[in-house]
Amino acid sequence: MSPEEEFLKKEQEKAKNNKIKNRPIIVITYLMVFVYVCLIGYVIYFMQFKAETTIANSRNIRQDSFAETVERGDIITSDGVVIATSSTDEDGNTTRSYPYDNLFAHVVGYDSYGKSGLELQGNFYMLRSHINIFERVVKEIQEEKNRGDNLITTLDYDLQKAAYDALSGCNGAVIVMEPDTGKILVMISKPDFNPNEIDAVWEYLQTEEGASSTILLNRATQGLYAPGSTFKVVTTLEYIRENYNYDKYSYICEGSEIFTGVQIECSSGKVHGELDLADSLAYSCNCSYANIGVELDYASYKDTAEDLLFNKELPYVGSYNSSSFYIDGDSRRDELPQTAIGQGDTMITPLHNALIFSAIANGGVLMEPYLMHSIENDDGATVKKFSPKKYGELMTSDEAAILTDYMKGVCDYGTAAGYFWDASYDVAGKTGTAEYDNEGNCNSWFVGFSNPDNPDIVVSVIVEDYTSNGVSGSWVAKQIFDAYYN
Amino acid sequence: MINIVCEISKFLTILFMVLYTVKCFSIMASNDEEERKRKLNIQIVYVFIIHFLSYLIMYLRLNSVKILVFYGIQIFVAVFYMLVFHSVYKESSRLLTNNTAFMLLIGYTMLTRLDMGLAVKQFIFATVGLIITAFLPYILVKWKKIKDWGVFYGVMGIILLLTVFIPGLGYENFGSRNWIRIGSITLQPMEFVKILFVFFVASMLVKANTIKDLFVNAIISAGFMLVLVLEKDLGAAIIFYITYVFMVYLATSRPIFLIGGVGLGVGAVALAGFLFKDTLFAHVMTRVQAWQDPFAFIDTGGYQVSQSLFALGTGGYLGSGLTKGKAHTIPVSNSDFIFSAICEEMGVLFGLALILVILSIFISFINISLKCRNPFYKYSAFGFATIFIFQSLLNLGGVTKFIPSTGVTLPLISYGVSSVLSTLIIFAIIQGICVISNREAIKNERQKERAKQQLALESGGRIPQKRARKSKKQQN
Repeated sequence: MSPEEEFLKKEQEKAKNNKIKNRPIIVITYLMVFVYVCLIGYVIYFMQFKAETTIANSRNIRQDSFAETVERGDIITSDGVVIATSSTDEDGNTTRSYPYDNLFAHVVGYDSYGKSGLELQGNFYMLRSHINIFERVVKEIQEEKNRGDNLITTLDYDLQKAAYDALSGCNGAVIVMEPDTGKILVMISKPDFNPNEIDAVWEYLQTEEGASSTILLNRATQGLYAPGSTFKVVTTLEYIRENYNYDKYSYICEGSEIFTGVQIECSSGKVHGELDLADSLAYSCNCSYANIGVELDYASYKDTAEDLLFNKELPYVGSYNSSSFYIDGDSRRDELPQTAIGQGDTMITPLHNALIFSAIANGGVLMEPYLMHSIENDDGATVKKFSPKKYGELMTSDEAAILTDYMKGVCDYGTAAGYFWDASYDVAGKTGTAEYDNEGNCNSWFVGFSNPDNPDIVVSVIVEDYTSNGVSGSWVAKQIFDAYYN
Repeated sequence: MINIVCEISKFLTILFMVLYTVKCFSIMASNDEEERKRKLNIQIVYVFIIHFLSYLIMYLRLNSVKILVFYGIQIFVAVFYMLVFHSVYKESSRLLTNNTAFMLLIGYTMLTRLDMGLAVKQFIFATVGLIITAFLPYILVKWKKIKDWGVFYGVMGIILLLTVFIPGLGYENFGSRNWIRIGSITLQPMEFVKILFVFFVASMLVKANTIKDLFVNAIISAGFMLVLVLEKDLGAAIIFYITYVFMVYLATSRPIFLIGGVGLGVGAVALAGFLFKDTLFAHVMTRVQAWQDPFAFIDTGGYQVSQSLFALGTGGYLGSGLTKGKAHTIPVSNSDFIFSAICEEMGVLFGLALILVILSIFISFINISLKCRNPFYKYSAFGFATIFIFQSLLNLGGVTKFIPSTGVTLPLISYGVSSVLSTLIIFAIIQGICVISNREAIKNERQKERAKQQLALESGGRIPQKRARKSKKQQN
């Protein structure tokens, strides 16, 4: 072999070696290319499927910059009434107005001084414009603002008005829901404010008197009240869970009795006589429930309360407060009698009460409550629709059926019968009179649903200071049901 | 009117960005020397157009003459660099010079939009960096003994890393103690140490013949990682570790080192996270939580990523247009989160194309490493490629919520004196390796050619002509 041949052979060998040596590099290169393809795929996935919901987040400050080119859309009720609208003057300044003043104050909220209510929740959608492309281009060139999309709510104008009038001058809150969808039809909180005069409201809040005012508080979702006798439904559920022969329960009420050193009296000193479980609920017998309460297993009681979302986050998008239930394995025995009848340290919001009863009405399944029904462009074409979402099963359908059955008694012959005996519809519900101080002053509750065989609506009402104004929760609820069925 | 010009410019920017990206790959795939040359020239035109349109938008929107002057200086330096570097180093990669200039210009553009002062500072440091690093290929060619200094690189690297613990010199920023301050300049020693680290590992691996050698190498490398963990600079620790594992895999050709190395790394992170989750790794845990659900922690650890996703989503595929978005409200948008700022205002499409450009730069690094026959240079080039692509991955993945964010910069685009200088050094070293291996290849080709001619003459056959042209092709 000549030296040249040898050299060429060596070179060939070297090239081959280099190729073998390079194998790991090729492997790593493919690996990294693969990872980058995943990264790109992920970004595209995010843009296609996640971006819309992400940027609709009310914390996205970019939403406000849309206001420079888009005139904020209207807020419209499900029956077509415009409850918030915008107008733009020649200089391009947009003003927001609310045709029905106080009527939708808390639920719709306001658009200045930071946003609240639906103005906050639906901000992003109302600042997007989906009108046709030609109109958009024309407006762009004329440097005019495009009409934003309209927010169609689940609210019902007639029902809201009826509830608002029924509550009249009293402080309190009303929330009405469809149990099988979670649609919120009514949301009222009083005292309220006029969103058209939000500047004045803000000024008032800066004064000494205004500083202690709670007019901006949405009592329907944020107001924490003692549940009073409405909590007996929870106690009943716990009793049913612990005692398979719950229908054999019997108690003789003498109007007053001492349990674990705590004296319990029935309302207005009434003597109920012999009662089973259904009658105990129907007549809202405090002694009977205190009797049940002291026998309950604390830890299990707490579990049941937490199954019903006490001490938990609620599936609600706007601002709200969580309800609280303090009994647990370490609690003192003498806390039980009060807790079982809904006094003590337990606190609940009207929204949460509505959710519990909504789950009972819907065979134990809770639907997530929602206010935004759909988004339409200015021509009325649907851009986005929000569908009902199932939250989960709070109780079995059997348990829900038993509770419904018992609560029918409340309205047929029990504490609410005086309001509903002549109604053209059936109601299952629970009244509550909750003391909020030590002088016997009470708030009045009613939570219940109509047409129990196939429930239509759930109504949750709290009227503050029932003792002095005489308007009861049941009466307000009656007015709402009447408006719904007529 | 201004509106319309700006809108059209925005679309054109994206269009030319896509064309530029396509060229990056088609140049690598091209075999014909003339065609490559033409494509490389077109690429320069695209760079010029993208940069021009971006500055046009900013000038029209902000109406500032300063921007125009700055624009002029930038494009002059960039074109000068792209043309002159190659004429000095004939065997260097023109695709790489184009990409270097392009990435720097994109960085300047976004920084001008975010903070003109920073942009000017970045431009000055990067230009000084370009001038200084222009000598590196020359030094590399001359300095044959570079591979024998392994121990020195290792010791020097660890000492430099430790400087951040010197009171008065080092300080803590963004939860990591990895900065030093000299006068008014703040630096991250880690950025420069990673270069020493690659040389150290390459040099040790070239010499390593036994398992024992590998073991000693592993111990010292673990020292680097340990210091980085103590600095609470997890992002850097991951980059160093992966680079180390990949390089060992290359040197040994044994998949077990790759699989075992990665597995060990994951295990170590999991174990450390479990043991020190409230102390050393507390801020890492916050970042992992923020990654899982940034919006639930929007007021604390999830703030940055939430803002980044808002920016991407709101900007959309086409972007809001430069100056029209709220890119300046993204935390550290001039540095770690600059990619989100780019996506918001120049469009997610632009961002996706940028990711592909970064990938193409990695592949051109790899090509240089593949061709290189000297193991030290091969390992080094591969190590630098790993650092570049992995750091980019940590950055891009972190800001898009693909992976938890680790607080590393995007090479050449993010603002940062240390980051941009160290990346320029890496790019220049790669060019040096490219020059060395190309020269060697050409020399080899010539020798082969001569040998063949000799053989052909001896056997009386004809001279194979077509071989003559091939040597030219090696030049990129």
